[in-house]
Amino acid sequence: MLFIKNLHKSYRSGNKSYSVLKGIDLSVAGQEFVAVMGPSGSGKSTLLNCISCYIPFEEGTISLGGQTLKGLNEDALARVRNEKLGFVFQDFMLLDGLTVRENILVPRIIRDKVEPEAERLADELLSLFGIAQIAGKYPAEISGGERQRTAVARSLINQPLMILADEPTGNLDSKSSRTVIEAFESARRQLGATIFMVTHDSFAASFCDRVILLKDGTVYDALARNTAGNESRGLFQDRLLAAIKQMSTIEGGTEEP
Amino acid sequence: MMTMNQLERKLQKADQKQSFLYLFCNFVSLLLITAYAAMMFSPTVLRILPEGGDSRKQVTMIFALALFGCVVFTVYASGLFFRKKSRQLGTLMALGASRKRLAPGLFCEVLILSSCSSLLGIAAGFPFVFLLWNGFRLFIVDSTEMRLQLDFRCLFLSAVFFTLVVAFSCLTAYRYLQRTNIIDVVHEEHKNEPVKEPGRWCGPVGICLIFAGAVCGYEAPAVYMGLFSAYPTELVNIFYAPVFVGLYMVMLHTVVHGWTQNRKHPYKNIISRSMMKFQGKQTVNNLLVSTVLIAGSVFAIFYIPMMGVGQMLDIHARPFDYCYHYRMDQTALQQADIEKLADAHGLSIKDFRQSPYLILGMDAIVRKEDGRHFHEEHVDLAEGVKVLSESGFYALTGERILIHSGEYRIVSTSTESDIYHYTNTGTFLTNMVTRETIPAKFAGYAHYDFLAGPPGYYLVNDADYAEIARGLTPDWLGTIAFFNINGKDSYAFAQDFFHTLLSCFGPECESAYYYDRVVKIAAEEAGEIYWGDTDDMSQISFDNPDASDFRLYWAYMPKIRILDQNDFLQSFAVYLMMFLFISIICTLAALIISYTRCMTITLNNRYVFDDLRRLGAPPAFLLHEVKSQAGTVFRMPCIVGMTAMYLLYAMLMFGNDGQLTMGELSGLGVCLVILFMMAGIFYAVYRITVRKMCGELGI
Repeated sequence: MLFIKNLHKSYRSGNKSYSVLKGIDLSVAGQEFVAVMGPSGSGKSTLLNCISCYIPFEEGTISLGGQTLKGLNEDALARVRNEKLGFVFQDFMLLDGLTVRENILVPRIIRDKVEPEAERLADELLSLFGIAQIAGKYPAEISGGERQRTAVARSLINQPLMILADEPTGNLDSKSSRTVIEAFESARRQLGATIFMVTHDSFAASFCDRVILLKDGTVYDALARNTAGNESRGLFQDRLLAAIKQMSTIEGGTEEP
Repeated sequence: MMTMNQLERKLQKADQKQSFLYLFCNFVSLLLITAYAAMMFSPTVLRILPEGGDSRKQVTMIFALALFGCVVFTVYASGLFFRKKSRQLGTLMALGASRKRLAPGLFCEVLILSSCSSLLGIAAGFPFVFLLWNGFRLFIVDSTEMRLQLDFRCLFLSAVFFTLVVAFSCLTAYRYLQRTNIIDVVHEEHKNEPVKEPGRWCGPVGICLIFAGAVCGYEAPAVYMGLFSAYPTELVNIFYAPVFVGLYMVMLHTVVHGWTQNRKHPYKNIISRSMMKFQGKQTVNNLLVSTVLIAGSVFAIFYIPMMGVGQMLDIHARPFDYCYHYRMDQTALQQADIEKLADAHGLSIKDFRQSPYLILGMDAIVRKEDGRHFHEEHVDLAEGVKVLSESGFYALTGERILIHSGEYRIVSTSTESDIYHYTNTGTFLTNMVTRETIPAKFAGYAHYDFLAGPPGYYLVNDADYAEIARGLTPDWLGTIAFFNINGKDSYAFAQDFFHTLLSCFGPECESAYYYDRVVKIAAEEAGEIYWGDTDDMSQISFDNPDASDFRLYWAYMPKIRILDQNDFLQSFAVYLMMFLFISIICTLAALIISYTRCMTITLNNRYVFDDLRRLGAPPAFLLHEVKSQAGTVFRMPCIVGMTAMYLLYAMLMFGNDGQLTMGELSGLGVCLVILFMMAGIFYAVYRITVRKMCGELGI
């Protein structure tokens, strides 16, 4: 589904250049739920922004559903964002002037006019994520958890290849975080969604199939949940925390559980 | 089934609140520009403000300032609008809308908003100026000169400004769409523009620079003229530059450090200060622009009391109700004529005093100009002066004064605040008929306020007076007379007296007091054309005796207390109106800029307030943070702009004659009251702004 090879990205500040991603190699399979963790400055958000086509990258390849993203023009990149990707942001980024239902339909409206089939899908997503009762409300009238579930529903309306989630639980309390993660789980289980999530939250990450640890712009480690051996979510979270601790003690990295 | 167009329309409808501020700012800008242009170019105003005169220059200069203010708040309003809009644009882009897809909707919205608001502003400009003008006439003062005529060519300025507003709005929309980094667009609302943190020396050094710049700028022309014997070009104003550098440093210090250190609670303002620091660049610029606009507003409004209070006090302090003078070749009113006229009005006159005077030529060291350069040289017939004898002065004033033969004295005010009008370098006086001369050396000033003022009266002793008067024809002789009214004077009598007196004068007296017959003769004898006979001399006419120009400059204008008191406002009505209008524009611009800055602070720091709330900050704490920032935005420009302009006016008044007269001190007192009133207006808007900010932040 997603293949990244030797990805490099640097930022300039004045005359100086700062390398943020230093040759990232990774892949995500269809219907996989993958999290990326790492200390601040490790390059997590930059990696997500490169995949999202928000920022250009200098070197390497990103291939999504067989299509290489490098070299695409503005319009083609916009089409990729709209048709092949779904987005969930830390601060929800819902449009204040639209109802929950209309917000969910926005990516479809951008692509084309809304057909009855899309409206039906929107209603299904509203039911799936338990927000049907607030479909006519505006973002300002609903809770943080409900807003994020609306954002998850919106990310699925165009049936994308992959959902990219940037700290989706970052602005939520633990109860709301759980409902959002459960929404991702439902999306994967019932709609076959592939999810790529950047997070600081080991609890949220423990729901994933695989967690990639980034450090200083490179992949430090990757931990897969042993589903065959029936590894519980709690055990996986413990293993994750241990790996993060180990990463932070080597070369004095910053620990961020 | 919703389409992209319907989606955009729905979002626009939801954004009505933010659009309203943008619409309002454009509307107000165009309204003010149109109204001001309508006034500036109205034949009524152009007739009263003499071409090339200082008052027209001042009005034009302050118009430029008001224009600048309007441009600034339009730009800020547009910036605020797009900042809010950018999140929406960024979200749509992030979800896959291409720039091409968003462009039509955005440009359409911007074009409609900017052009409709601007056109409405232009259309409202004329009713606004009509209402303001007629309100002024109805409630404050009315005169025949104030019949408002408009010249619709002034719409040219509005059209230019309209084009600028629409073009700028489209350009800003284009700039936002062209941003390649979507993350930047999304986060535009929270964009920080921190300033480099200077040391604590910054503010005090800034204050020193303001004072140094004001003094340097004020003194530079005089120093230049002294050093190079030439008039300086406009470039000499560069010496005022330290004022602006100083202002910037003061504002920077205000934003970064603040002016008060709370030793008991050093962390009390740490949050609000850091919020301001991170928006430092824009905040400092805003404070600077607001300060300049407030200073402009204060400069304009001060013109009214500074001009009025001194004059009203002078008029009130006059020892006689009436003073008039005439040439002996005119059949002017005599005491018996005036008594008869007064009788017809049921009045009687008392204290009638009169004295003859001579009009003589005087030599002097004068400044001769050759382009920008000048040199000083002695000229035998430098000017015509009115000369009274010792006994004539006594007859008028009751004060004896001793003058030696071969000397002269000049009548000045008790504070000698007007001596720059007079010539103290003369050495002899000339009889313009016989060309006989007598020596005359300056021997100091005699004090009598009622006789002081340009062109002034010169005193010689009785023997010299008799000698030099020999052979003078009636057109070189004159009479000055004073009298009082028994009991209460009447305005009708004053009018009657003025118009009767006027009818006594022939066309040879239809000239301004600075039309000098002595200099004219000297020029003609040298084969030159006297400048007073060229177009450079502004003309006055007997046909329009109520015009302010006529009242101010006619060579034989009588002093009539009741007429001067009643007509003072009428004579200066247009000046008052213009300066009041300028002040309103600048104040409005400063208020809107401060308001938009506070709302920008709210928008940018909303997430900080949310975080503070999560950390358990009570509403009182959040309110303190809001007030602390809004207070700085409103308070600092007011304090700096008002104080600087007050001190500048005091310096200008002091610089005129090296002292502050009673009239000037009273004027400054009234200015102080006006400052308090203006501060009250700013405080009221500050309170409203804080309430709005709290509403936005949910405090």
